[in-house]
Amino acid sequence: MTGPLLLGVSNALFCLGVYGLLTRRHAIGLLLSVELMLNAAALNFVIFGRAYGDAQAQAFTLFIIALAACEAVVGLAIVVQLVRSANTILADQVDLLKG
Amino acid sequence: MPHPSGAMEALSTLTVPQLIWIPLWPLIAFVVLLFAGRRLGKLSAWFAIGALANSCVVTLVLARGVFAGYRLAVDWPWLSAASPAGVIGFSVDGLSWMMLFVVTFIGTCIAVYSSGYMAGDPRYSRFFAYFSLFCAAMLTLVLADHLLFLFIGWELVGLCSYLLISFWFEKPAAAAAGRKAFLTTRVGDTGLLLGIFLLATTVGTFHFREFSASIAGLPSGLLTAISLLIFLGACGKSAQIPLHVWLPDAMEGPTPVSALIHAATMVAAGVYLLARAMPLFTPESLQVVLVVGLATHLLAGSVALTMTDIKRILAYSTVSQLGLMMVAMGLNAPAVAMFHLFTHAFFKALLFLGAGSVIHATHEQELSRLGGLWRRMPWTALVCALGSLSMAGMLFMSGFWSKDAILLTAREQHPWLMWVLLGGAVMTACYVFRLYFCCFLGPEPQAHGDHHAHESPPVMVAPMLVLAVGAVAAGLVGSPWLGSPIFHLLQAHAHEHVDLPVLIWSTAALLTGMGLAWVVGFQGRNLVPGPLRPAARRLYALAANKYYVDEIYQRCIIEPALSATRALSEFDRRVIDGAVNGAGTAGWRLSQWKERFDRLVVDRIVNGLAETVREGGAVMRRAQTGIIQQYLFVVVGAVVALAVLVRL
Repeated sequence: MTGPLLLGVSNALFCLGVYGLLTRRHAIGLLLSVELMLNAAALNFVIFGRAYGDAQAQAFTLFIIALAACEAVVGLAIVVQLVRSANTILADQVDLLKG
Repeated sequence: MPHPSGAMEALSTLTVPQLIWIPLWPLIAFVVLLFAGRRLGKLSAWFAIGALANSCVVTLVLARGVFAGYRLAVDWPWLSAASPAGVIGFSVDGLSWMMLFVVTFIGTCIAVYSSGYMAGDPRYSRFFAYFSLFCAAMLTLVLADHLLFLFIGWELVGLCSYLLISFWFEKPAAAAAGRKAFLTTRVGDTGLLLGIFLLATTVGTFHFREFSASIAGLPSGLLTAISLLIFLGACGKSAQIPLHVWLPDAMEGPTPVSALIHAATMVAAGVYLLARAMPLFTPESLQVVLVVGLATHLLAGSVALTMTDIKRILAYSTVSQLGLMMVAMGLNAPAVAMFHLFTHAFFKALLFLGAGSVIHATHEQELSRLGGLWRRMPWTALVCALGSLSMAGMLFMSGFWSKDAILLTAREQHPWLMWVLLGGAVMTACYVFRLYFCCFLGPEPQAHGDHHAHESPPVMVAPMLVLAVGAVAAGLVGSPWLGSPIFHLLQAHAHEHVDLPVLIWSTAALLTGMGLAWVVGFQGRNLVPGPLRPAARRLYALAANKYYVDEIYQRCIIEPALSATRALSEFDRRVIDGAVNGAGTAGWRLSQWKERFDRLVVDRIVNGLAETVREGGAVMRRAQTGIIQQYLFVVVGAVVALAVLVRL
């Protein structure tokens, strides 16, 4: 049926997010990748909620959307500070933690 | 009739806190002069004089209470941890009042004189600082009613004596004389200290007024030992044979110091101590005092006949007169001894000041190079004549009354002793008039700049005139004419009238001595019959060499002591230094071994550990790239790997 297909979509979405997170240099790109992974998780909630007929899962999805918005705000604020202090937006050029 | 020494009845006591001011004034002057003396300059003399005059005034104010028969005292608690009732303090009775008067009054006169005598000295203010400290110490000694307290003053006056004898320490002779005085009196002081210890362990009290009560029942041998040890201290301070050697050398100090310390006050402290401690003396120890005093009187008198330095003549005369006081002590007549001390202080201080005036004028103290000074220095000649007459025992002058009191006491106890003392009186008159005739009469020697001689300034003449009045009249306080107030003050028996035979004999002695001084001392004629001349010459050489006492000390004490110190220093260098150096070398070797062990073993372990950690860290730090995505990659890889593992 459509269940395994949808799970495949959400898996692909998650892998796409991980891949973006590991390969993107641009900080905004990293934030977008995280959003992708969150949406994959939200899609999973919807799929399994529908499969088991449980309305709570839909509610969790709504929470995740709100959470993602908050996370985007915090992440963008970090990015602004990063640009101000390190004068770059590329993640691999910021290596203050280098041992 | 012997004066019973233990019969001093208890006096009623008045508490007088003002007593403390008597030694405090000179002490304040000392402190001020010590810190501000340089800035005060000429004024410093007047500080010292003013302070001492204040003490004198306090003393005079106290006279009324003392003569009314009270004992003035002030106490304060002392060592109350040892015994809750322990007190120490000052007290004034007749005896100490008399000494207070002598010290403050004569001290003031001499301080005024010194302000002229020491003028121009580079250490002018220092002199008056020492002078004030001496007065403070001497007054403490006199006021103390406690033997230990007296001992503090006793040692302090010794210190001041040392400082003032070697005041001109640039002169090697003065420095050596100060050292000699300090060391010689130290012998006596050790005796006194031992006596104090013995007293503490047996009698158990240090308060003079408790002595007569607390010695009851003690064995007389013990008391003899204590009193002889105390007498040894008095011998050192009062220059009695065999500890008299320091006093003639002490003449290296400034002359006012000789007058105050080495004639009038400090050397009399021994006599005063004996008078204070009289209850402790047994008949046996009084015999010793008598013999030592008599020997000192005669031997020092004979040495004075042969000396040619005017200050040394006076020094030996002082030793001789102190011997006379000790004779009176030995006769158990402390009041008579104190009376002679009183008059002696006046005429001997006067004679010393006169000698100082001569030295000040001529810069010469060798008798053969002086002469005819009465034309240049009429006032000095006048006061010296009065002083000499008084000392020789001229009728109705001070020396007459006190010397006759001693002769009378001697006649009452040992008739032969009076004749010996009359012989001493002949010597006294002879040496003092030899000094006077050679110094003031005869032709002026032209060999040196004598024509520069001039009378001393008024500031020096005035104190001499005051003392001359004392030398003439002070003895009246002990004369039967005025009812002998001084003997009543000292609570002793006094003679009711002048004793005619003694008066005649002592005048005969005076005239004989004066005649001998004129014929032998001044005109230089030899009266000894021919056959006796070799013996007489030997006797003269013996006296002129001061009986070789200094040489005997040099041979028997100083040289053995020096060789002992040399041997000890050799021992130190060889044995003790060797041991110390050996220990040092051994320690050094051992530490070298330890150092090697440290370096090769301990350091290597510690460094190796640190090295390992550092290299491990260098490897590990490579993992920390600081790039977040690489960390994330590890995380994702690990999650995947774990998932696979879980699945398996």
